[in-house]
Amino acid sequence: MRDEHATRTNLLLLWRPLAFIALLLLLWEIGIRRQASHLLPGPWGVVGGIVDLVRHGLLLKYIVASLFRVTWGFALAVVTAIPLGLAVGWYRRAEMALNPILQILRPISPLAWIPIAILWFGVGDLAAIFLIFVGCFFPLMLTAIDAVQSIPAVYVNAGRNFGLSSAALVYRVLYPAVVPKLIVGLRITLGIAWLVVVAAEMIAVSSGLGFLIVDARNAGNRYDLVVAGMLIIGIIGLLLDLGMQSLEKVKSFRWGYSED
Amino acid sequence: MSPKRAVVICGAWLVLITGLHAWLNVNWDVVLNDFRPPAQRKIVVAYIPVTCQLTCPVTDYISKFSENGELFLPRMFQGFPEIKEALISNKVQAAFIVAPLAIALAAQGVPIKVVYLGHRYGSALVVKKNGPVKIFRDLKGRTVAIPSRFSDERLILFRAMKVWGMKPGDIRMVEMAPPDVSGALAAGAIDGFVMGEPFPSQAEMGGYGRVLFQARDYWPDYMSCILVVQQDLIDKRPETVQVLVDGIARSGLWLEKGRTYREDAADFVGRYYYNQKPALLRWALTKPMDRVVYSQLAPRKADFDMVRDLMIETGVLNKRIEFNQYTDTRFSDQASNQTAWKYDPGLAAAK
Repeated sequence: MRDEHATRTNLLLLWRPLAFIALLLLLWEIGIRRQASHLLPGPWGVVGGIVDLVRHGLLLKYIVASLFRVTWGFALAVVTAIPLGLAVGWYRRAEMALNPILQILRPISPLAWIPIAILWFGVGDLAAIFLIFVGCFFPLMLTAIDAVQSIPAVYVNAGRNFGLSSAALVYRVLYPAVVPKLIVGLRITLGIAWLVVVAAEMIAVSSGLGFLIVDARNAGNRYDLVVAGMLIIGIIGLLLDLGMQSLEKVKSFRWGYSED
Repeated sequence: MSPKRAVVICGAWLVLITGLHAWLNVNWDVVLNDFRPPAQRKIVVAYIPVTCQLTCPVTDYISKFSENGELFLPRMFQGFPEIKEALISNKVQAAFIVAPLAIALAAQGVPIKVVYLGHRYGSALVVKKNGPVKIFRDLKGRTVAIPSRFSDERLILFRAMKVWGMKPGDIRMVEMAPPDVSGALAAGAIDGFVMGEPFPSQAEMGGYGRVLFQARDYWPDYMSCILVVQQDLIDKRPETVQVLVDGIARSGLWLEKGRTYREDAADFVGRYYYNQKPALLRWALTKPMDRVVYSQLAPRKADFDMVRDLMIETGVLNKRIEFNQYTDTRFSDQASNQTAWKYDPGLAAAK
């Protein structure tokens, strides 16, 4: 009896968003049919656009290009910003010295770096990776600083009282204490990386999902490809977020989350 | 899942995505080019997908079928600011840009020289079909899009305004990326635009645009895009610059051979370079045939002096820079001996 009830709830959970999406698609189609100029595509036009991209072998290519840039830009930011942020957070004086400059650099949109990125790296993968790196570096570093600083002093003191060496203190107290916060930071930052890659590809490269959108604008009346590109960007963004969520399931990372 | 497994999965993803990207997207020709000895390195020529730069992809396409193979590496950009940045940081050695931008850059001390023109004519003022603008005077107080403050399209608008007795502020000019203007006109966001082909053709084909005037109506020998080359390349490898200019000149002559040649160019450039519908380029190149002209492309002092004076008059240049300071005509002089490519569609051989 209970099981049956659970399945029904699950089905409802699945059907409600689907029904809402279907309603939106219907409204979209009606809206398109009512407008006078036929510039914007309807849902079927967009499906046609995606089929077109698949047939020309472009969809896979562009998705790979965008994911490649996000992966490297994000990975480089992770391996630099997190250790640096942890160290800065641990040593109060370093934080006091660096904080003002961090607060100045942080609010600068990564897109403002585009002209400089082109001057330094030309147009190509490197410029796009650099922009994603800049976009991810500061949020990650601030997360790391915050994660260290919010470790309760009692954890550290307890570790010291048990006579842990410095290395053991890092591995057995600090690392598990900061991980839950870092994972939340990583998840948010990956979202930023995905936002930045699309904008960077509109300017600095000739492949990728952002390029797909500018290229479709060049191609004349191909707004079906523009909307197809937007849709694919949204879906991949969702998948990336789901992937990051699965990191939260890693056993030794789990203690910081409440039990479901 | 254990942390170790998470690390392995991340590492495997990094390798997989890098491998796929290297296989599917990386143009190895371009990557390897950077590792060749300087004297053998192919130069990179920047262009954007407009018909005033058509000779660039045409040269690349036809030269691939010739004995010596391709002459340079073409590189498509999306707008002039990015081309400019790549040019001043020496990431590209040659580029097609609008003439006023070249003059402005030279005046600011960027070491580039104009060596050839892209084409003549091929820009038009387009307004909404059956809209409120019937003659030029109706544009007073309305908004017209231009590609850049450093563009010939802006200057032609000023020339027309002068003829119609308008003051500089009478038309609101907005800078817009060329690919956006057609949609903006159709949606009523702007009242008109002055752009290079194929964007006027696009609005005409779409049925919502009407050409109010062609550039030649107010500027007899109108030119817009020109080919610039880094001074460094001219000094060190003049023969390479000559090969480039010869190739571009031969493509211009080839495009002037007749309708079938232009239709062929529309087809392969639309498909392999610009990613535009061949029908659109065919319209821009053949309706009528002199909508765009690819002859008389050697830089001429009178043309450039006029552009410079108009720039000073309209406030985008503050220095009287002389023709010989920013042009190098020896390459176009040599190229005047060239003949059209001997290339017929479908033969897969060119001389």
